Amino acid sequence: MSKVPPEGATWDLPVRAFHWLLVVLVVFSFVTGKAGGPWLEWHMKSGYAILALLAFRIAWGFAGSPPARFSSFLRGPRAALAYARAVARGQAPHSSSHNPLGGWMVVAMIAILFFQGVTGLFTNDESAHEGPLAAIVSNRTVDRMGDLHERNHWLVLGAVVLHLVAIATYHFVLKRNLTRAMVFGPLRFPLLAMVLLALAAAGVYGVVVVLPRSAA
Amino acid sequence: MNRKYLAAAAATAVALIPAVAQTPKAEDQIKLRKAAYSLMGYTFGSLDAMASGKRPMNKDEATRNAELLAQLATIPKGFFGEGTDKAAETRARPEIWTKRADFDAKMDKMVQETGKLAQVARGGDAAALKKAVADVDTSCSNCHEDFRVKRRG
Repeated sequence: MSKVPPEGATWDLPVRAFHWLLVVLVVFSFVTGKAGGPWLEWHMKSGYAILALLAFRIAWGFAGSPPARFSSFLRGPRAALAYARAVARGQAPHSSSHNPLGGWMVVAMIAILFFQGVTGLFTNDESAHEGPLAAIVSNRTVDRMGDLHERNHWLVLGAVVLHLVAIATYHFVLKRNLTRAMVFGPLRFPLLAMVLLALAAAGVYGVVVVLPRSAA
Repeated sequence: MNRKYLAAAAATAVALIPAVAQTPKAEDQIKLRKAAYSLMGYTFGSLDAMASGKRPMNKDEATRNAELLAQLATIPKGFFGEGTDKAAETRARPEIWTKRADFDAKMDKMVQETGKLAQVARGGDAAALKKAVADVDTSCSNCHEDFRVKRRG
């Protein structure tokens, strides 16, 4: 890496918008999921939006600006370990994208949330609300998915806490403000990102609205 | 005795079963309350679909379902007797028997909300129906949260 962009201009607008929308929706999903009852209608809508966002982020990991790409931040275990050792010594080498540990955190976060969204599609609350695909699978599968959805929400919680602890550690121990770069940066929202976002939304619409209709 | 009388007597007898019949054995109480909950889930599901616009509003159908739901809602309460925490497969949590007052209060709330829903359904107002359905929904989930074992797939 010859040139490291100054912290504060690392992330393109689609990445930043994705991140903060995801924050809002995950918190909202958590609260409405706990509240249950009529709130589950909102919980489901929030889940669909999260799935669309995740699908977009995955696509953007191939098509986005260089720091947004998986190829810029997915490093092998050796690099991750070396980075972890550096952090343990109180250093935090600059990265032009996610650092070698953070990169895996991104993948884990996307995978855990994606799993949460998909299991949600197949489950119900055993009274009035059911995911859009619950009707086209057996009750055994519905129960299984409900169980997984319930258990996996702890992983979501764990990943969020780990993420916040990491950010706090950078802030207070390593004296590095990573949040700023997730807020400030270029204000351009490329057409390609809009197209990919629209495709992601269309894909989710297909799964939650069209698919159950055509299977019924 | 003419048939009308017989029918009326039979209907009354059926309506009074939970109140006057000999208490069923624990195993059967579990079976009966589960049956009631299953039917409640079914009738409520169709009311919810109507309230949320997934099915067209039909006052007569809503009234039928809501009245049935309100009747069914009175059944489970009588079937959480002694030994029904484990006489058959059940996801009733032991707290039902250790925090009985709380459980009863939540059960009464549900009976009350389903009664309100039946009244509202007769009125045929979609917005009011939506609100009443949400209130029943909340009363269900409040009780499930505390007193029903989470499913394990």
